[in-house]
Amino acid sequence: MDRFFYRLECFLKGQVSRKTFLKILLGGLTSFVAGNAFLKYAFAKSEGSNGRISRGITGNADIIVAKGVDPYRNTVEAVKGIGGMGKFVRKGDTVLVKPNMAWDRTPEQAANTDPAVVAALVEMCYASGAKKVNVLDVTCNNEKLCYEHSGIAAAVKEKGANVYFPDHWNVVKAHFPYESPMEGWPVLRDAVDCDVFINVPVLKHHGLTGLTLSMKNLMGVCSGTRGMIHFNIGRKLADLTDFLKPDLTVIDATRVLRAHGPSGGDVNDVEKMDSVIVATDPLLADMYASKLFGKPPMEISYISEALARSPEKKDLAKAKVVELST
Amino acid sequence: MKVKKSVIFRRSSQVFFLLLFLYILWTTTYPLKGAFNADMFFKTDPNIMLAVALSERTIVAGLVLAFIIPVLTLIFGRFFCGWVCPFGTVIDAAGSLRRKKKALSDGVNARIRNIKYVLLAVSIAAAVLGHQYAWVLDPIAMMGRFISINLIPAVTGVVEKTFIFTMRDLGFRPEWLYSFYRALKGSFLGVETYVFANSAPILAMFALIMAFAAWVPRSWCRAICPLGAIYALLARYALLARTVERCTQCGMCSRDCRMGAIKDDLDYVKGECILCMDCVYTCAPGRIRFRFLPARGQGGHKTLVRQGGKGAISRADFILLMIGSILASGLKWAFKVPRKLIRPPGSQDEKAFVDKCVRCANCMKICPTKVLQPAFLESGPGGLWTPHLVNEIGYCEYNCDLCGRVCPTGAIPRLGLEEKKRAKLGLARVDRAKCIAWSAGMECLVCEEHCPVSHKAIKIDNVIVNGVVLGRPVVDEDLCIGCGICQNKCPVRPQRAIVVDPQK
Ligand code: SF4
Repeated sequence: MDRFFYRLECFLKGQVSRKTFLKILLGGLTSFVAGNAFLKYAFAKSEGSNGRISRGITGNADIIVAKGVDPYRNTVEAVKGIGGMGKFVRKGDTVLVKPNMAWDRTPEQAANTDPAVVAALVEMCYASGAKKVNVLDVTCNNEKLCYEHSGIAAAVKEKGANVYFPDHWNVVKAHFPYESPMEGWPVLRDAVDCDVFINVPVLKHHGLTGLTLSMKNLMGVCSGTRGMIHFNIGRKLADLTDFLKPDLTVIDATRVLRAHGPSGGDVNDVEKMDSVIVATDPLLADMYASKLFGKPPMEISYISEALARSPEKKDLAKAKVVELST
Repeated sequence: MKVKKSVIFRRSSQVFFLLLFLYILWTTTYPLKGAFNADMFFKTDPNIMLAVALSERTIVAGLVLAFIIPVLTLIFGRFFCGWVCPFGTVIDAAGSLRRKKKALSDGVNARIRNIKYVLLAVSIAAAVLGHQYAWVLDPIAMMGRFISINLIPAVTGVVEKTFIFTMRDLGFRPEWLYSFYRALKGSFLGVETYVFANSAPILAMFALIMAFAAWVPRSWCRAICPLGAIYALLARYALLARTVERCTQCGMCSRDCRMGAIKDDLDYVKGECILCMDCVYTCAPGRIRFRFLPARGQGGHKTLVRQGGKGAISRADFILLMIGSILASGLKWAFKVPRKLIRPPGSQDEKAFVDKCVRCANCMKICPTKVLQPAFLESGPGGLWTPHLVNEIGYCEYNCDLCGRVCPTGAIPRLGLEEKKRAKLGLARVDRAKCIAWSAGMECLVCEEHCPVSHKAIKIDNVIVNGVVLGRPVVDEDLCIGCGICQNKCPVRPQRAIVVDPQK
């Protein structure tokens, strides 16, 4: 031990000659410059993406609505109704479940997706052989507080999901085949690279757009200054939906925030609707949900924008809707 | 080689307390689940706690803790400096960088030793006059500030950047590394790494003191430290004292003493001895011991140094002292600037806040959005390094009252969550010329979307432009609490279109 201390002392107090000092200095400078040049090179090739590749699976019906007091059962039954999770998730898949947990609010305040709905989906994904189920959201309030107070992180961790805070350095730049105001927008890589994308919004009031629905919920995988998406929001969200092509949309309408959304906070604004809506087409899901809320779908800018692109969906009455009660 | 048992013992104690201090500051973060109270170290610092209590004429919560170490000092002497003080530990480490230690002569030692008493007296006099300046030189606060504002952000930043470099730029991204990184992000690193504004002067002050310590060992503790001065005054009456028997007058101990406490005549200044045990170890014949209540004649050295003449504060010092304290208290008054900073929740009285704040940086460390940043000269020199809200960086999180829970002096009061949610920090104001909804007729309302007040302190004013309904934000002055999330999230750059003004 004493020897060791002696050596250490010799090392710490040893003399450094001028030559060595200059050598070290020069070496340091060169590596710094070289490193910088390398970094510039690495940054220069920004990674673009032409959008998520979806398997394009359709369900047994266009829209399934399950009503009942237990949100967990509602979710299970609704997914069963559309054909079962096995239809979407294959063995070894990486699944992204994207709830709305953007706000530092409790489940009772209904600003975030109900934890039981998300947990049920995670469980079903694993039962269908998923390798990994990721759960994340780019939050509006502090990440840790949102993940914890929404109750979602704890609920899905119990089912084995991989809950983590998104990395804003790990993004791809969105490219569109047509001219888009979202061109070049940074989107989380995990949202684009996953095999199955399940979008789990909560139905609630929203000041600017009227309602927060599945398309609006996709903003939660965008990085960058997201406030900017608000100008011309209809167009941007329609393009974003087109880019991400969610395979399954599950709208949680268990507790619905009727006013002062999207953050809410007052439990008196919350109405129990006890429903879960499942669809493969995000547009149909949003249209149905907005009707359920009592708002004409055409009043929601992103719905009307998306409808202008596929006018054949305009008439909700033509869609095959199955209502279950659990 | 003789095993330096007591020296090793002391070093372990120093390392232990330094690590403890680091651990406490590291866990000063949401959800505040460390094993110790975040403000523990600061509360046991009599220098700042008593100064705050004196200048504000209040009993600070937990004030009794400030008496623990003084009482122990009356028994053991200035053990705190040699065995506990984390600042002293780093100073020791800096001092050991140089092999040839600079030894000062007796005269110089005696003179610089008195500086710290003068400084302490200035700060006490200022406190009596109602101004708290103890923070300026307090070692514990300085250490906390350095760790929270410089060290931790630097370490986490470098670790995170290394990970990002490996995984993004080098493309090495195996599953295990990524999961490890994610686990770190949820714990050690924090979700986002950050840097503090105005952190350079804090580092500079720390580095300067360390440079001096490398030049003359423990130069800070000998000459400047006000906390050391308090303990030195008490240590004079300590029960434990150094004794020497049958001294051979070799003078080794005097040459090696890191505090310059052993004089040329081999007598020692009791108040300066930090019980580092070096002399016990260096004394070749092993004749130095520390004993409780040694008999007067033991060892042939006077063990108690009589104060008077050189040892005490001279008349010149006293006059200097008075001038100094008057200047010091005049400083804040002379540089008085109109209130333009937004202070943490519950501390809206600027004068009381600045006087209670000891700049320990606990609140800035724990703030989850890092809206709390150290001020520089924005509110005058008197407000240096006090926390204020910079809404471009963060915003006051609605469901959070952590800053008040870690403040050692109550500068930020413990409001409790419900009351904190109602505490007004300022008032938001929409700049209609900049706001794109008002000036350019574009849809935005990001501010309204984020407003955490449950019935929205930002109301929507609807107009119909070209047949389309357009919402424009209007602030409800009664509901607005000035949390600043609107300013933080407003997408208009470079200046935001909605800003929070401090309350009048
Ligand atoms: S003199 Fe001050 S800085 Fe030095 S060890 Fe003592 S308390 Fe710490």
